[in-house]
Amino acid sequence: MSILLNNRTRLMIQGLGNEGQNQIRRSLDYGTRVVAGVHPGFRGGDTFTHDDHSFPVYPTVAEAVEQTQANCSIIYVPAPGAADAILENIAADVPLIVCITEGVPVHDMIRVRSALADSESKLIGPNCPGIIQPASKCRVGIHPPDVFMPGNVGVVSRSGTLVYEAVDQLSRAGIGQSTCVGVGGDPIIGEQQQAILRRFQNDPDSDAVVLIGEIGGLAEQAAAAYIKRSMTKPVVAFIAGATAPPGRRMGHAGAIIEGEAGTAEAKLAALEDAGAVISRSPAEIGSTMRRVLEEAGKYQPPGAAEDK
Amino acid sequence: MNIHEYQAKEIFRRHGVPVPGGGAAATEAEARALIKEHGPDVVIKAQVHAGGRGKGRVVKRDRASRTYNDLTREPERHEGQISGRRRGGVRLASGVEDGLKEFRPLLDKDNRLVSIQTGPEGAPISAALIEQQTSIAHEYYFSIQVDGASGQPLIIASAEGGQSIEEVNRTNPRAVLRIPVDPVEGFPAFRGRTLASQLGLPSAAIRQAGDMFANLYNVFTEMDASLVEVNPFVLTGEGTVLAIDGKVGLDDNASFRHDGYEAWRDRSQENPTEIEAEEANIGSYIKLDGNIGCVVNGAGLAMATMDTLMLHGGEPANFLDIGTVNRKDRVVEALRIIVNDSDVKAIFINIFGGLARVDIVAEGVVDAVNELKIRQPLVVRLNGSNVEEGRRVLHDSGIDVQTADELGDAAELAVQAAAKATRRRSRN
Repeated sequence: MSILLNNRTRLMIQGLGNEGQNQIRRSLDYGTRVVAGVHPGFRGGDTFTHDDHSFPVYPTVAEAVEQTQANCSIIYVPAPGAADAILENIAADVPLIVCITEGVPVHDMIRVRSALADSESKLIGPNCPGIIQPASKCRVGIHPPDVFMPGNVGVVSRSGTLVYEAVDQLSRAGIGQSTCVGVGGDPIIGEQQQAILRRFQNDPDSDAVVLIGEIGGLAEQAAAAYIKRSMTKPVVAFIAGATAPPGRRMGHAGAIIEGEAGTAEAKLAALEDAGAVISRSPAEIGSTMRRVLEEAGKYQPPGAAEDK
Repeated sequence: MNIHEYQAKEIFRRHGVPVPGGGAAATEAEARALIKEHGPDVVIKAQVHAGGRGKGRVVKRDRASRTYNDLTREPERHEGQISGRRRGGVRLASGVEDGLKEFRPLLDKDNRLVSIQTGPEGAPISAALIEQQTSIAHEYYFSIQVDGASGQPLIIASAEGGQSIEEVNRTNPRAVLRIPVDPVEGFPAFRGRTLASQLGLPSAAIRQAGDMFANLYNVFTEMDASLVEVNPFVLTGEGTVLAIDGKVGLDDNASFRHDGYEAWRDRSQENPTEIEAEEANIGSYIKLDGNIGCVVNGAGLAMATMDTLMLHGGEPANFLDIGTVNRKDRVVEALRIIVNDSDVKAIFINIFGGLARVDIVAEGVVDAVNELKIRQPLVVRLNGSNVEEGRRVLHDSGIDVQTADELGDAAELAVQAAAKATRRRSRN
């Protein structure tokens, strides 16, 4: 059932403000099993209802976990409280924490990373679109569900909207997705690209991976080093920002070219050297993957994955 | 967010980091008082947010662009022309009259400081920092930043300070110390003394230097800084340590818990259009050199959109990440900024809705076309959340717009539209 999520995922949502409510309704519509909400002083009382779905709302994560055996948390809490929400999940030993929130202070994330180091919990994000797994109908994030379809290609990206762009191209090219992970655009995040690549490498349901990076930082070089060392599955890579002027921050805190290593050219060179297939154009990610899958004899026509 | 050197030094002083006596002057009266108090021998430093001040030039606004070309074309010719040459942004002076003579051109509103980091328009000078001169025995480098890979603060230090640390790292990497900091332990004074000893500071200065490093670490954590850099700190002729430069970058995301951030912000150092974009609550806008105005949601997709345009032979006029659009007036505001840019010959709107709803974007585009009387050809590519409704809104409105479902096709249309508009103009 691919990586991070599966049929046994029991999701709880933290932060039932307007946006959190909108998003969790869409996850419920998609078919995701949501077992609890956490929102101290929730105005809707102790139950959240949407059509014929409902789940109990608790004031703390510890109570939600104890009462519902939730094993995955999605955080929509606004930035000033987001790190606190993550720390609450780590303290309650929630195995998988996904934080969507944009604008979390970097010093808060230093504290979070230090807490993660002493725990079994895994964090995806913050400032990310979350994780979606079409085959298990598990949407832990903010994705537009219609563009996704089940299949054998994993997607990992720093950018959210580029996940949608890449997946739209994959689906149009008749390629379904096993799991799609947006790791987040901030300087300090939970799991980084190479950790997700390792999960896909070990996942029997993924035959190839799309890796989407961007300028700034050294994360793609670390990913390239992992690909070179350990990856046997094909990787199609795109790096956003090849045409960005140096020294300017392009929206993502991470997306600023500071010296040679941060440039798209340096990252593409490292990935190419590691054996990844480069898509120079962001509009050719889907067609490139189709060619790579066919060459590897791993192309599955749409629908094949659902029969598994 | 960047702050000025004089502001950084005020913070340093409050945290027990030794800095030279001095202060900022925005008027001649203030300058006179500071020179009297801290002189007669003073250093006068232009306060701008760009680096390279010492090797820069203070020139009339209309000469800025030519000076910038000079500086960037022949950087080696300007090596070594630092303080005292009476043209740059860092000047030495002796006594009140001499000092005021050096001070006046810095605060002339028609002047700009041009350095290799300011860009061709140069930077307006907000104030001058006037400090007593220091006798320097040796220059060192010290900085603290966030290391994304480890998720920990990282201290970088070197006994080869006063120059570009990137250059030292390139020519003599062993002279650059990299010290990861355990955020739970922090950076107590004994760690600071250990570092001071590694840097080869004389025994008599080790205690003071150790305290200075620990206090700089406190600045880093207490101010929610993304960068604290002192290049150089010096060992003085008297055997004490002193931070004679200071750079602090603050984390905008932490502004909600620091009342001081707003007071330190200097909007004169920022691009006016970028401020306008911020005030309209648009995620992020950066002006570029091309002629295709872009409105995109998400930083990654916005960069990828620029990349696609370039691959199709076009040139983006800007980077614009509109952020999560849940109100149509944000689309109008974003397009107002694009339309007001006289370089823009065609407009490319590329929205892939996740959190953002595409139908709201479409309504905003229709409003903008009617309200702003947009004359440039418009290419709109919509996908994602509520895309069917969005496409219907565009279609039913009857506005003149080209659409495509896929990124590559849409980029192609935008490039053609810009080329056609440019040809038409050159014929007229």
